[in-house]
Amino acid sequence: MQQQGQAVVAASLAPASATHQREDARGDAPPKQVAQAMERLGRAGRLIADIRLGADRLLEALFVAGDAPPHSALQHVERTALAVVQEETAMHRHFDDLRALGRQLEESGVLNGALKARGNSWGLHMPLVCPDGAVVAYAWKRQLAGQAGASAVDRTRLALKAFTDQKRRFFPHLDDEGLSHLPDGESENEVPNMKIFTYRRLDWSKRAASLASLMNDDFVDPSKELNQQIMSKMRSGHETTAMDQVAIIELLVPSIFRAIVSLHPAGSTDPDAVAFFSPTEGGAYLHARGQSVHHVFKHVTEHADKALQYFVNVEPSKALSLLLRWVASYQTLFTKVCSKCRRLLLMDKSLALLLPPVQRPYHQTSSVGSDPQDAYHIGCSSFDV
Amino acid sequence: MPPVKWLMHWHPNPGATLNSQILAEASGCAESLGGSKDGRWKTSIIFYRAMARDGASAGAGGAPPQQPPDVPRELLGVALHERPGLYFSILRSHRLVLQADAAFPQVMEKLQSYKARVTLNFEGFQYQLGDFCLRIGKCVPNNSETLRGIMMEVEYYPLSSIEKSRAVMEDFFDIWQETLAKKSLPGHFIHVESNFSEYGLSDHYSFQHTAVQYATCLQQLMAAVTVRG
Repeated sequence: MQQQGQAVVAASLAPASATHQREDARGDAPPKQVAQAMERLGRAGRLIADIRLGADRLLEALFVAGDAPPHSALQHVERTALAVVQEETAMHRHFDDLRALGRQLEESGVLNGALKARGNSWGLHMPLVCPDGAVVAYAWKRQLAGQAGASAVDRTRLALKAFTDQKRRFFPHLDDEGLSHLPDGESENEVPNMKIFTYRRLDWSKRAASLASLMNDDFVDPSKELNQQIMSKMRSGHETTAMDQVAIIELLVPSIFRAIVSLHPAGSTDPDAVAFFSPTEGGAYLHARGQSVHHVFKHVTEHADKALQYFVNVEPSKALSLLLRWVASYQTLFTKVCSKCRRLLLMDKSLALLLPPVQRPYHQTSSVGSDPQDAYHIGCSSFDV
Repeated sequence: MPPVKWLMHWHPNPGATLNSQILAEASGCAESLGGSKDGRWKTSIIFYRAMARDGASAGAGGAPPQQPPDVPRELLGVALHERPGLYFSILRSHRLVLQADAAFPQVMEKLQSYKARVTLNFEGFQYQLGDFCLRIGKCVPNNSETLRGIMMEVEYYPLSSIEKSRAVMEDFFDIWQETLAKKSLPGHFIHVESNFSEYGLSDHYSFQHTAVQYATCLQQLMAAVTVRG
């Protein structure tokens, strides 16, 4: 039957294959390229539908033959064989047409190697993940529109890069000193218990997700967490993360809190968001604009927002170091009594919650020296809440 | 990582009796602190006594049964409400706490090395108070309604370190005592520290810690019963 089929195919050589137009796609204006590509893809879609139908018919024929009552089996088999042969011819034709179309699409740049390698290469139904992590439903549409798989994030980053390059080139005196001086004057001396880590934005999402699985393990060993952290940093190869890519700072005081500060733009010293979490929390919601599931940390974050705004508006050049130092003062969150009522836990009447002093003053923190770190309950603070 | 938890038990005044009125008042206090009732809970403890081997080897007609001298006479099995798939066994004499599968009681039943003597259930309602969770419950033997004790669990969700949460838990305990004192009940709650390090447990709270606290609590309850009885 196979040989018959092949013979039939050889005989009916009329390939209704797509036009052999080898027009130079590059020479045409983009709108025409788009129109052509759209039309070709439409044809490809129809061919694929035809192929599916053909496959269905083949299966149907086989089932019918298989189910045939014994007395008429021979007739059925003969009929089936004929149907199969016809279908096979048609299928071969469809596949040839499809191949030709595919070649044309490749040449015009619609289908590229990355898409093909993915198996489900037409991108017609499956979402595509762009290099920057954005998920795109129809990659080919973007490609046709000249964006070549770029998402909004990619385009923004390219624009920002161009801007930063030009700024560096034409206005060198405006260059920020960057984060390099940060660890020196900073917390390592003043706050030995706090650990500071830096990340690129995507690296942080991976870490947040890994924290979720770490915390769900009943047998978690907390020292493992730190080890894993160090291991992953070593593996990824950037010892201190290229300074111009740092977008997230994690401040961890073990067993007390984990604070996430986001920098915008990446590589700058301008914080734009901060959030506090329990060290036991993990998951995709763990980021500088996320919210802890615990009331205490929710309220600390709320207060931290105000502190951040204050630092950024009043002392923009030192905002980050002031913020980090201020965050470090929360080490005493669960031990320091309120400076006004001298209690640790207090029932906040309006919130109906028992909370420790979640507010620490952020005014006048630029003064050097032993400024006693005060702490206040929400209802106890003297300044604007 | 489970959050830290303190267990407290009711210590009646000398001569006073236990009754469910205390339970009701305690629940009322939880609600007055803003607690919202959100379900029931039940933890069970089984007392196992070591069996002499004679029953099993009677047919062998061999030497008289010998109980190895270092076999613990008593074993505690704890089924915690928060982990129905697990079972904890505690050897108080050896300061051992082990985590096992929930099929543990059936296995012990088959082995016949230890026999279950008494089963105690700790059950009641639980209340959410912001970042705290309160479980107030009575202690009753398995097939009886006799109130053997009253106890409560206090859990603080944001923290898992015992040392770092100590100040907060103590403060909560003080607030709780103050609130309850207004009801003039014949007794008060006590938190007895368990010696976790003796059981080889670390500062990070775990279910083993809870199992050990239950063992400690039980000891206290039995002592109170003996004194009264």
